[in-house]
Amino acid sequence: MSRDRRDARVAGTPDGHAGSEGPDAPDAPDGHGPELLTAYVDGITELPPDERRAVEAWLARDPNARDEADAVKTVLGRVRALPPGDGDEPDWAAMERSIRQAVDAERTRPWWRSWRWLVPAMTCATAAGVLLVIWPRPAPIAVPRRPIIERPVAEPPAGDHVVALWLDGAEVDVDVDVDAESDLALGAPDLLGEAGAAGAAGAADDAGTPDEVGLLPATDLVWLDQLDAAALDRAERWLAGAAGNPSSAGGAAGSHAPQGPHRKKT
Amino acid sequence: MTVADPDHELAERFRDGDRAAFDVLVRRHQKGMWRLIRRYVKNDADAADVTQLAFVRAFRGLAGFRGTATVRSWLYRIAINCALSWLRDHRREHPAELADDLLTEDNPAHAQLSERDDRIRLRAAIAQLPPKQKLVLELRVFDDLAFKEVADLADCSENTAKVNFHYAVKRLRDILGADHEP
Repeated sequence: MSRDRRDARVAGTPDGHAGSEGPDAPDAPDGHGPELLTAYVDGITELPPDERRAVEAWLARDPNARDEADAVKTVLGRVRALPPGDGDEPDWAAMERSIRQAVDAERTRPWWRSWRWLVPAMTCATAAGVLLVIWPRPAPIAVPRRPIIERPVAEPPAGDHVVALWLDGAEVDVDVDVDAESDLALGAPDLLGEAGAAGAAGAADDAGTPDEVGLLPATDLVWLDQLDAAALDRAERWLAGAAGNPSSAGGAAGSHAPQGPHRKKT
Repeated sequence: MTVADPDHELAERFRDGDRAAFDVLVRRHQKGMWRLIRRYVKNDADAADVTQLAFVRAFRGLAGFRGTATVRSWLYRIAINCALSWLRDHRREHPAELADDLLTEDNPAHAQLSERDDRIRLRAAIAQLPPKQKLVLELRVFDDLAFKEVADLADCSENTAKVNFHYAVKRLRDILGADHEP
């Protein structure tokens, strides 16, 4: 159903009689309704030419239509004669001035004092707050706890420079953080390879043995039972050579315990 | 049928930055706006305030006016909205002025209607029309709008506006004709 027909039907039956034309109502031309006559009386210039000609032909042949047109003119004349207000109309010049002042105030008002931006801004802020509250946070991923597997530390391969410390089952405290130079200055044996290397220059000058290696290199320490035959042989030879030089043989000083914090190795 | 819009050029000038064009629109339409609003707001001073408010709103929105309707019907739409909004805000302060008994047979002034009473009865009869018929009749008769503009404001087709206008006139004839019957 088109909007025209639906609206027309509703408009014509608000109280049950407004939509009925009554027995004296003139017959409208074919294809037109009685509203055409009213529209003709009140707005002849607004009708399309074909509708205008149809109404004029209708009025020419139907005296009831002419009476109807006169009645419509009379009623509309009375309605149009009604004053718009209680009596005197307002002072139009004063009203125009007040409107201009109000509009000028609108022109000069800074944008940030306009309430229009406030509403969308508050709406956005509220929406953002609500989203922050209700936004589903990702649940923490449950990571199955895996048992800690102790992996054997890869031991560095024994090289030619590796020497072994012959402990004879004795327990030795080795302080790897000890200030080697201060120990050397105090006459302590060089147990660290680095200190030994650093102090080797001075010691070599004194003893005339530049190839002497430190007892315990800072790296590449290996356990005795992991030495291959060649390294073990070298260690044996070093110990045999150091037997007559106790200051350079840590093994002979197995009970030596440097000062300071200790790290225990057995 | 298209309606030529004499205000279209003013709207274009306003969009181009000519603020004086708006003053011309005010001068041209303030009477019609006030009369339209006055039919809703039953007080001259309040109607003037609402008219001012409607023009301020029109000033804010004219730059975005798309021209699908005439400027006048666009202004009148704003005026109606402002008036309805004002009525909503002041409903308790302004009860209906017209008493229903003006249309009853017991009205003591029924036999001899003075001119003033005749106006009151005519207004009462218009007030009794169904809302859409009333709106269409008033826009057409009081505001001299074309049927197309009436249709725009009443949110219906042009043909529906004509039908509503026809039945509004017919109903007024029935009411006023009954008044003068012996």
